Amino acid sequence: MRREKDFHLIDPTWCIGCGIYGIFSALKKTAAKLDLDPQQLVLVTGIGCHGRLNNYFKAYGFHSLHGRTLPTASGVKLSNPRLHVVGVSGDGDAYSIGLGHLIHSIRRNINITYLVVDNRLYALTQGQTSPTSHMGYVSVSTPGGSKEHPLDGLQLALASGGTFIARGFSGDPTQLASLIEEGMKHEGFALVEVLSPCVTHNKIITYEWFRENIYKLNEDSSYDPKNKMQAWKRLTRKAKIPLGLIYVEKKPSYESLVLPDKKKPLVFNDLEVDDLRLEKIMHKFQ
Amino acid sequence: MKKEGQKIADISVMIAGKAGDGVLFTGNVLAKVLKRQGWEVGTYRDFPSNIRGEPTNYTIRASLKKIQGRSDEIDVLMAFDCASIINRAGDLARGGILLCDGQTLARLAPSKSKGTTHHRFPLRKLARDNFGKEIFKNMIALGVLCYILDLDFPILEKVISEVFLAKKGEEIVQKNIQAIHLGCKQAKEIVEKKEIHPLLKKKDENRLFISGDDAIAFGALAAGCRFFAAYPICPATEIWQWLAKYLPQFNGIVVQTEDEIAALNMALGASYTGARAMTSTSGPGASLMMEAFSLAGMAEIPVVIVHVQRAGPSTGMPTKTEQADLNQWIYGSHGDFPRIVISPGTIEECFEFTIKAFNLAEKYQCPVILLTEHVYGHNFFSVRKFDLKRTRIDRGKLLSPDELINIKDYKRYKFTSDGISPRALPGMRNGLHMVESNEHDEKGYRDEEPENRIKMMQKRMKKLERASKDLVPPKLWGERDAEIGIIGFGSTFGHIQEAMAQLKERGIRAKYLQMRTLWPFPVEKVEQFIAGCREVFVVENNYSGQLSSLIRSQVSSTLKMRNILKYSSQSFRPIEISTQVQKAL
Repeated sequence: MRREKDFHLIDPTWCIGCGIYGIFSALKKTAAKLDLDPQQLVLVTGIGCHGRLNNYFKAYGFHSLHGRTLPTASGVKLSNPRLHVVGVSGDGDAYSIGLGHLIHSIRRNINITYLVVDNRLYALTQGQTSPTSHMGYVSVSTPGGSKEHPLDGLQLALASGGTFIARGFSGDPTQLASLIEEGMKHEGFALVEVLSPCVTHNKIITYEWFRENIYKLNEDSSYDPKNKMQAWKRLTRKAKIPLGLIYVEKKPSYESLVLPDKKKPLVFNDLEVDDLRLEKIMHKFQ
Repeated sequence: MKKEGQKIADISVMIAGKAGDGVLFTGNVLAKVLKRQGWEVGTYRDFPSNIRGEPTNYTIRASLKKIQGRSDEIDVLMAFDCASIINRAGDLARGGILLCDGQTLARLAPSKSKGTTHHRFPLRKLARDNFGKEIFKNMIALGVLCYILDLDFPILEKVISEVFLAKKGEEIVQKNIQAIHLGCKQAKEIVEKKEIHPLLKKKDENRLFISGDDAIAFGALAAGCRFFAAYPICPATEIWQWLAKYLPQFNGIVVQTEDEIAALNMALGASYTGARAMTSTSGPGASLMMEAFSLAGMAEIPVVIVHVQRAGPSTGMPTKTEQADLNQWIYGSHGDFPRIVISPGTIEECFEFTIKAFNLAEKYQCPVILLTEHVYGHNFFSVRKFDLKRTRIDRGKLLSPDELINIKDYKRYKFTSDGISPRALPGMRNGLHMVESNEHDEKGYRDEEPENRIKMMQKRMKKLERASKDLVPPKLWGERDAEIGIIGFGSTFGHIQEAMAQLKERGIRAKYLQMRTLWPFPVEKVEQFIAGCREVFVVENNYSGQLSSLIRSQVSSTLKMRNILKYSSQSFRPIEISTQVQKAL
């Protein structure tokens, strides 16, 4: 049985108190709980502070281009669905430059677990405003305060037909780990947004701010995550931010619908030239 | 038209009208029939980026000898509307025939100087009166052509049956055959015996009738491509559509992505995981792919990108041809990284080079661009069957699980003597590594030290230094000791060959260097060629002379080079090349 330390390569160098430590911890917890083989796990990241995860988390890793975590991860999953594929992006990577890919990955319901680390700014590039920064947010890129309305990624995911929509908090790695675990078990696209403070650049959206503004959805026993209207109401309510499993639905995954051979991943194909078969196909060009 | 004694050896027939008239459909049927009659056939389709209404023409060239491109003039013109008559009558050769529909269309006096003749047929009226629908005018027109060319009826009927039976049923097949007979009868009454151009009937010998796009798609299938991701774009979409039908039968998949950025990134994810992956696009899509192109180079991920060029820039002219995207892949994207760019000059090379591209991509672990053009992608040519027995799959330094298990401390980007590192795939035991879009160390982890940077840059760039033995060299055509040299790439192949034949008739001997690998640039061979010439002409379909500039940047002795350029969105006519060469000398 593997333990958390089996997934720990080296100690990270993120700022002390960074929310991503919580995400790193949750990922290790989940990997150990599920007893995943690091050699069967692919962690795809994008550009941002979260991108360092591959250096610290023991698995096959792909630090892809900014905003392109999902197409990369999709190519991996479709070629070898036996691999566990986890994608991680920041709010810039997922909700700005990569937004198109998010919606289409949801549409496909491809079996990937996608963590969106939301610290409501661009930390790595020194603190610019992000799509989740609130209206009026003052930063190096919007010194006069942001004049754009923030995006709610989970509302967007729900409207796009998402089949697993959850939100965690890096200050609660235990809850986060269980959400990631459920996401990985889910057959389809699992979006887990993680509220995560940036202790260096964001002096407003801090651990304290989050703690005062979140609540655990699943503590309410009347809440049914299979009820789409309820999910919509909770997500759009102008009150505290719901954490937990917000919505879940069963739909066939993309791979289950498109892969011709359910048993043999296409990377295990024998590429030996079958000239008899190809001759028959060539004949059709006459 | 060319004749060998009494028999016709080379003829071009054009069908012209508006988009939506059935020009392309009728042309396709005629082309197929001629091919099955044993002729070498090449098509030149000129259609607008629109569904209906704008001018469309389809030229079918049939020859007893192998042909590779359009001829200078057409011999028979079937015009469905006024604009076609007015615009295309000038393309008619000496002694050519203009056939058109009805009495109400433009009256153009037959050219006395060229000795052309004109005939009118009430095509649409006949269609309405006999079959109740104007669309039958197409087969009636084909019937007229059938009489003029003395086409083989059984072959024609078989093609009609193949085209209509599945979707429309036997009744429609019969109606169309009747329409052909009607057209033939009409022509017999009007066209004089001296005007007809009866074509020989020969054996077909199981040749293929295939477009460049289809040849590439088939090549990919044969090469073991099992993952294809793309976004629709003219003129590359046909590659994907063909593969969408066949890849699943070989346990492969085709994904329609949300855009070209996703397409190339997905292909890279698939290739990293061990699939032979490909995408296809044209200019606008290629521009979107530039970042991922650099990722393939940096992360040393094999990938094949097929680029079927069309007229640019920007949205440009989606259904017209050009050769102006060479620069995009030679110089494109940011930073320095290895890339291979190859350009097929024939349909056979479209097939062969696709297979080569996959082998090169995996051997050198870099992106390989197969650069072709609309005029090949969307036109059909008769070719001998491809030799599948010569197809080889070479996966380079891809490790097997057994090989990997025995490696101590595996490094994905290990420094080696040839710069190529052994490659493990996710899921394999003992191969844990990281793929980094940032600069990285031998294990793939981010590393910004200058010393490592220098070594890694050298490692990546050095890979192709010793690649020349694996790359397709330029090919020399024509008279080896001639002093007039022509250099070109891609589809100008046929037009240059014919231009050289025209020059020879006028006493000018020439030779032609067909560029096939554009990058890494074959410096020695090109230098050698230029050194052996008194005058050099670089022929290409673009405004700025991209190939010419590339040659100048790589080779020293370029003072005597001159450009022959065409950027009208049409491909060259051989006479345009030979005339410009003659004028310059």
